[in-house]
Amino acid sequence: MDSQKVDMFLMVNAKFFSPQHINYVREKLLAADDSKWFMMQAADLKDPTTSLVVSLLAGGFGIDRFIIGDTGLGVAKLLTCGGLGIWAIVDWFIISDATRQKNMEKMQMIFG
Amino acid sequence: MQANRLYILVTALLLLGYSWLFLFGTALQNTGFTPCLFKNCTGLACPSCGTTRSVSQVFKGNIISGILINPLGLVVAAVMIILPFWIIYDIAFKKNSLPQAYKATEKIINTKPSAILLILLLAANWAWNIYKGL
Repeated sequence: MDSQKVDMFLMVNAKFFSPQHINYVREKLLAADDSKWFMMQAADLKDPTTSLVVSLLAGGFGIDRFIIGDTGLGVAKLLTCGGLGIWAIVDWFIISDATRQKNMEKMQMIFG
Repeated sequence: MQANRLYILVTALLLLGYSWLFLFGTALQNTGFTPCLFKNCTGLACPSCGTTRSVSQVFKGNIISGILINPLGLVVAAVMIILPFWIIYDIAFKKNSLPQAYKATEKIINTKPSAILLILLLAANWAWNIYKGL
């Protein structure tokens, strides 16, 4: 893929990935062919800040986990009232990273 | 999610659940203590309020009164009874069936009809919880 295109994509979407993953994504994008470009644009990436806000407000119901696509964990969190409140508090701190991790997994699925 | 992380998480949750149930049955009996953030903040019951009471009723054999407190308790009780054996089975026979089942269930829940059905059921249950004043 064109390096200009890749850098544009990364500039717009850098917040969706962990800093240590950016380089990996860039390499993969440069190596990928143009047909992946539309899939990248259509990829449903989640904003870590949004999930953090949701986690603070509705973390006890597991909504944050549902949003990032961890449905199984979301159900577990909902049924245990946010893991007796403990898991809900732990998630305030790790949900942003979990979101970035999920985005990375989506990317890896596109790269194949 | 990776398979080992799922096992660790499930084991931790089970341990937490059983120790909480033990604590609830002994030290915290009749104190009215709740760790629920939502209930402590708003005074209203959350969708899963009453699950502990329900599970402890089910474990005592009073399934009907368990359902009347909160039907979700029956689900949690079933999960708490089945999962330890499932994990032991997986470890003993070196199988990978729990993560596979987890993924399959996640796929089913993620389809639109079942998601909508589940949300409606949970909302109805929540309304019932608030009505009962758990």
